[in-house]
Amino acid sequence: MADYRFPHRHLLGIEGLNRLDIETLLELGDRYVELNRSRVKHANTLAGQTLVNLFFENSTRTQGSFEIAGRRLGADVVTMPIATSSVKKGETLIDTAMTLNSMRPDLLVIRHGSSGAVKLLSRKVDCAVVNAGDGTHEHPTQALLDALTIRRRVGDIGGMRIAICGDILHSRVARSNVACLNMLGAEVRLIAPRTLTPPGADDWGAKVFTDMREGLKGCDVVMMLRLQQERMDGAYLPSAREFFHFWGLDEEKLSHAKPGAFVMHPGPMNRGVEIESGIADHKTRSLITEQVEMGVAIRMAVLETLAKNAPETAKAPAPAGAKK
Amino acid sequence: MTGRTAIYNARLLDPASGLDTNGGILIENGLITDIGPQVSKTTAADVKIDAKGKALAPGLIDLRVKTGEPGAENKETLETAGEAAAAGGVTTFIVMPDTEPTLDSVALVDFIKRRADSVAKVKVHPTGGLTLGLEGAKMSEIGLIKQAGAVFFTNGDKPVEDAGVLRRAMSYAASFDALVASRPDTPALSKNTVMNAGAFAARLGLRGAPPEAEWIALERDLMLAETTGVRLLADCISTERSLAAVERAREAGVKVSCSVAAYSLFFNELDVGDYLTYCKVQPPFRVESDRMALIDGLKRGAIDTVVSAHDPQPTEDKRLPISDAAYGAVGLETLLPALLSIAIREEIPLLAALKPITSGPADLLGLPQGRLAKGAPADLVLFDPTAPWACDRDDLSSRSKNSPFDGRKLEGKVLRTWVNGATVFERG
Repeated sequence: MADYRFPHRHLLGIEGLNRLDIETLLELGDRYVELNRSRVKHANTLAGQTLVNLFFENSTRTQGSFEIAGRRLGADVVTMPIATSSVKKGETLIDTAMTLNSMRPDLLVIRHGSSGAVKLLSRKVDCAVVNAGDGTHEHPTQALLDALTIRRRVGDIGGMRIAICGDILHSRVARSNVACLNMLGAEVRLIAPRTLTPPGADDWGAKVFTDMREGLKGCDVVMMLRLQQERMDGAYLPSAREFFHFWGLDEEKLSHAKPGAFVMHPGPMNRGVEIESGIADHKTRSLITEQVEMGVAIRMAVLETLAKNAPETAKAPAPAGAKK
Repeated sequence: MTGRTAIYNARLLDPASGLDTNGGILIENGLITDIGPQVSKTTAADVKIDAKGKALAPGLIDLRVKTGEPGAENKETLETAGEAAAAGGVTTFIVMPDTEPTLDSVALVDFIKRRADSVAKVKVHPTGGLTLGLEGAKMSEIGLIKQAGAVFFTNGDKPVEDAGVLRRAMSYAASFDALVASRPDTPALSKNTVMNAGAFAARLGLRGAPPEAEWIALERDLMLAETTGVRLLADCISTERSLAAVERAREAGVKVSCSVAAYSLFFNELDVGDYLTYCKVQPPFRVESDRMALIDGLKRGAIDTVVSAHDPQPTEDKRLPISDAAYGAVGLETLLPALLSIAIREEIPLLAALKPITSGPADLLGLPQGRLAKGAPADLVLFDPTAPWACDRDDLSSRSKNSPFDGRKLEGKVLRTWVNGATVFERG
């Protein structure tokens, strides 16, 4: 696979990738896991290149993970403090993009609260764009790091039964994961109350369950999703305690999955709402901290792969009003 | 209950099986253990009761009862409602969540169950409020409340006006296959009205509720039931067009059932007559063609359940100018006589008239009672299906006496009622 050329300029979502694309990234990710576990965690693949982190939504782990990934590859990493920037002063999203583009970054990592916003920006800039989460649409590096985590534990994801539980409706992680795991041949299940199940989810290539015990039957991996506080105020769910009672992962519910099934969570966790502490901290079954480790490795793989795809000489930046 | 009780020489009526034959019923440990012509005077039993040829049917199940407990015990308590129910042959009733505080939590639903178990003569099941405080804004803990024993969810007489809230509550309830009841009403059209809108209301100078108030809300509810997949009970529909809409939706595969208040089958708007406040109810008495269409629906089996819509109101809230009077009518004691009277007057077979007050509601809620079958609880009513009488509100057992049937002639009298094989009412 070493001679396979990743055919995409950007990583905007899992949608649009094929199985070979994903496996290429996972394999490279695997190699970076080894590098990250060694004493000198440096590669010079991105030496001289500029990586700009543009986070319109607050994030600790994803932003940090991309920063570390960029630095370990030798890039110059700049994180734009958007919350206190000119965006607050009324600059439009496109103007912000054009301004940044003029600084000639090589890689732009973007998180934005609106679905589709990252794609919009990718059309306006000359560098490679990585979607670090857009609204409730996609979070491709999360899906890739989850796949890497599972693959390293079980070998082949093909044929694994994997349940994704909780707030599917508002989850970009779920959307990316369903696409990614499906492509790798897993049997994906979605478990959620009807109010948090997106319409048409049964057409995603996943089986939909409302009863958690039934849904967890025979699962090799259980992926829990974060439940936003504002969903529990009576609009989508009556209360946190009711959610935990029916859809929170506890020992009893987990006993319906395969013996020894792994538990994952993209973080940050609401202990006692979607997951019981004893399970989140379980020494052999919880892969939650491992996911964070894989996050850095897979992001290094993504950054390197996209950087390699850059055209040799970049054009001069287009003026703000120009059509792309 | 110890020993065996035989009720013999009865006309057995069981809508669930279509049984209409002479015979008897044998009761052991509160359950029906034998049924049919073989149960007779000579059957070995500790207690033998001669039914003297009268009708013996499953005790009634009433899906819409309000008491004042908790919060307005001056209107009715679970105990007094139990008395009224027993006197009316109603052996199971479902209480609405419109109390003070509202039945919107595990604790209150549990309270009703325990309280009714200790004070009510008949079986009582609580509903759960669909939204907190019935305010129509936030859904209640539907899953936990269902586990606590609520048999369905409803916002009672306060319709959920926000379609988004209703849609999500229905969708969430569908996660638990919970039944959601909604009395279709559009407050913007029906607020502060006294009776059905139309020429008669105009002549009386009273504000009327137009039937569109019901149609608009019903069509909305049906659409949301279709898209969310919830089981919907269209509660107390009162017009021809509403029944047609329910039947059309059912035909299209929507999981919808409907209830009709007994008074909607008995009265029309003209009965409000001389500003009778006991006839001020929601939904209001409609026009005669609506009443006839509902009766036709009853004949065809299109109405899943007929309810008493029992809503006790004390004199101080009723003896007022009609515009100021409270809505509501008591109905537990007149549910069976009203249906029997209609059966006679409109030539409806007895089994068809009894089904929506026995096996119909039992099947909606998945209850074992409501049928004459071996192994079913011995919840029974013995009645004379044709005995004429005149209703006098002062003779009602209910704590409140606000009955529109006051002074009306009715056919059909309850003689004796059993719950789990024990007599809870016997006419002296």
